Amino acid sequence: MPDARTVQPGDRTLAYITLAPSVALLLLLSAVPTITVLATAMQDVGLGSLSGPWVGLDNFVWALNYDAFWRALWNTFYWVFGSVAVEMVLGLGIALLLHQNFAMRGIARAILLAPYLIPTIVAVLVWRYMFHDIVGILNYFLMNLGLIERPLQWLGSTRWAMVSVIIVGVWKFFPFVVLALLGILQSIPQEQYEAARIDGASAFQQFWRITLPYILPVFILTALLRTIWTFHKFEIIYLLTGGGPLDVTTTLPILVYQKGFVDFELGRAAAIAILTFVILAALIAVYFMLMRRAESKQ
Amino acid sequence: MAQVEIRRISKIFEGHTAVSDINLVVDDGEFLVLLGPSGCGKSTLLRMIAGLEMPTSGDIVIGGKVATRLKPKDRNVAMVFQNYALYPHLTIYENIAFPLRVQGVEKSKLNQKVRWAADLVGIEPLLQRKPRQTSGGERQRTALARSLVRDPQLFLLDEPLSNLDAKLRHSSREELRRFQDRVGVTFIYVTHDQVEAMGLGDRIVVMKAGKVRQVGTPKDIYSHPADTFVATFIGSPPMNLVETGPTTVGFRPEIFLPRRGFVESANLLEAPFRIRRIEYLGGDQLIYGTVSGNLPETEVISRIPSSVRFDGAEGEEIAFAAHIEEVRYFDTETGVAVLASDVQGQTRRAGHA
Repeated sequence: MPDARTVQPGDRTLAYITLAPSVALLLLLSAVPTITVLATAMQDVGLGSLSGPWVGLDNFVWALNYDAFWRALWNTFYWVFGSVAVEMVLGLGIALLLHQNFAMRGIARAILLAPYLIPTIVAVLVWRYMFHDIVGILNYFLMNLGLIERPLQWLGSTRWAMVSVIIVGVWKFFPFVVLALLGILQSIPQEQYEAARIDGASAFQQFWRITLPYILPVFILTALLRTIWTFHKFEIIYLLTGGGPLDVTTTLPILVYQKGFVDFELGRAAAIAILTFVILAALIAVYFMLMRRAESKQ
Repeated sequence: MAQVEIRRISKIFEGHTAVSDINLVVDDGEFLVLLGPSGCGKSTLLRMIAGLEMPTSGDIVIGGKVATRLKPKDRNVAMVFQNYALYPHLTIYENIAFPLRVQGVEKSKLNQKVRWAADLVGIEPLLQRKPRQTSGGERQRTALARSLVRDPQLFLLDEPLSNLDAKLRHSSREELRRFQDRVGVTFIYVTHDQVEAMGLGDRIVVMKAGKVRQVGTPKDIYSHPADTFVATFIGSPPMNLVETGPTTVGFRPEIFLPRRGFVESANLLEAPFRIRRIEYLGGDQLIYGTVSGNLPETEVISRIPSSVRFDGAEGEEIAFAAHIEEVRYFDTETGVAVLASDVQGQTRRAGHA
């Protein structure tokens, strides 16, 4: 007879009891808001209330026929892939540089983290100064160098606004990529390079055949995380341009905000939010497939 | 195949001397072992021969050619690392093929070479696996095969067996030696394990603190250690050392045996031995205790084969002895070995005092 108080392996009740607090917390923090948004998306919610008459999928149909939605989706892709591509290339380059031995390497690494640690609002205010067409330092330098004849309207022109936003995004978030890649670079056993040197591999061959395959899984994972985070980044864009001019920097999160809290059409905003979620989920699925393939190569 | 000459090599790392003024000639086809405790400079010396470190001064000559300033790849050496340094993302086949791929060797020749090397070390069935799907011993053989495909004139091995468990290490030692006999190439092998060194080396270089303490065959080094460091570093348990004034007397545990086992009565170093503890090790038993009488009271160890009857019990005092010609003498102050003829009188005087 087993003692009633001893825990038996495979005791399901105990498993459920111990899991319950985590599950409850997850439901509260994740499932409840999701379901609330889904419910909102199926109602016609107007000004001053949180619910309204049920309209089924009308809001979704509306969103899919809404030009601004498709424009915002295109803007989002521009913003996400523009930022992440530059961040990854720049991050890899700087990580490789910082991986070398040089004097004051520690200080260089610390300085590099600064953009990541500066609060967004502070960074944005400084960047807005720098982007200013008359007093901004960017135009001052570009004109002194003779690269441009007249000051550029960085944030105010439809041509440069998204580029400007991407510049700030990259500046702020590439240190994360550097940090992640530097970590994996430093874990490559030195002996692998020594063996390759004895075998006659050139510096490029060492990078191509040892470094790159070694860091690839982390590289892909970092790109995935940066994609997710950039996809629903709100404050940088909103504080820099507010989505303008002429909606050229209105990404999906900005559109959701405008629909919900400027136009007070919470139902439609929720529908766009749900669609955003679905698109992002599909994107993540593709990434996971890529990652699994990279990992199976390891 | 090549002779290697180390000429007055030193290596100083930021004020710390890792290798100090070493001269050495490694014969063509020889299996030379660099042996010493960790930090003695043996790995640094090996890495300088490989070209992974530049010597601070001195020259390295490989196959009659001064190689001191040559890049590693131009020295035609192969190196096997302690952790094997296999590339985790490549199959065993691709790992072995790596040196040929970077040289741009054509496909059919590459394939033939890889299969030849894999066959030589017996890993042909594993070629499509990744390193992490193989055992430690298989990885070690893969590393050997990879170093083999370039037809190196010199093999450098940095503790290649130290990551294997004791049983595998034993069989790998045997395999490695047969491998060297087959390929007939000069081997320089670094280890801190004296059993490996004794079992593998044609000659052993015993190093300490960046300096060579002794070079010789395993037998030379064991029976005629150049100083007290070599005497105690080689052999397990180490040589017993008894200080008798300016001279230190040394005798191996296995020659220090009960007096009544000796037929003759001349030419013996005799001493009463008080037994403190007897350790049974299967094949042998170790008798720990204290010598006295003619010798100053000192803790020593005797090793007696278990097949020989020994009745002594812990706490007893028994007459022990060793053959004079097997006893070694060292200068107490410097630790350097001195000739028996130079000290015979002295020891006797010390003994009678």
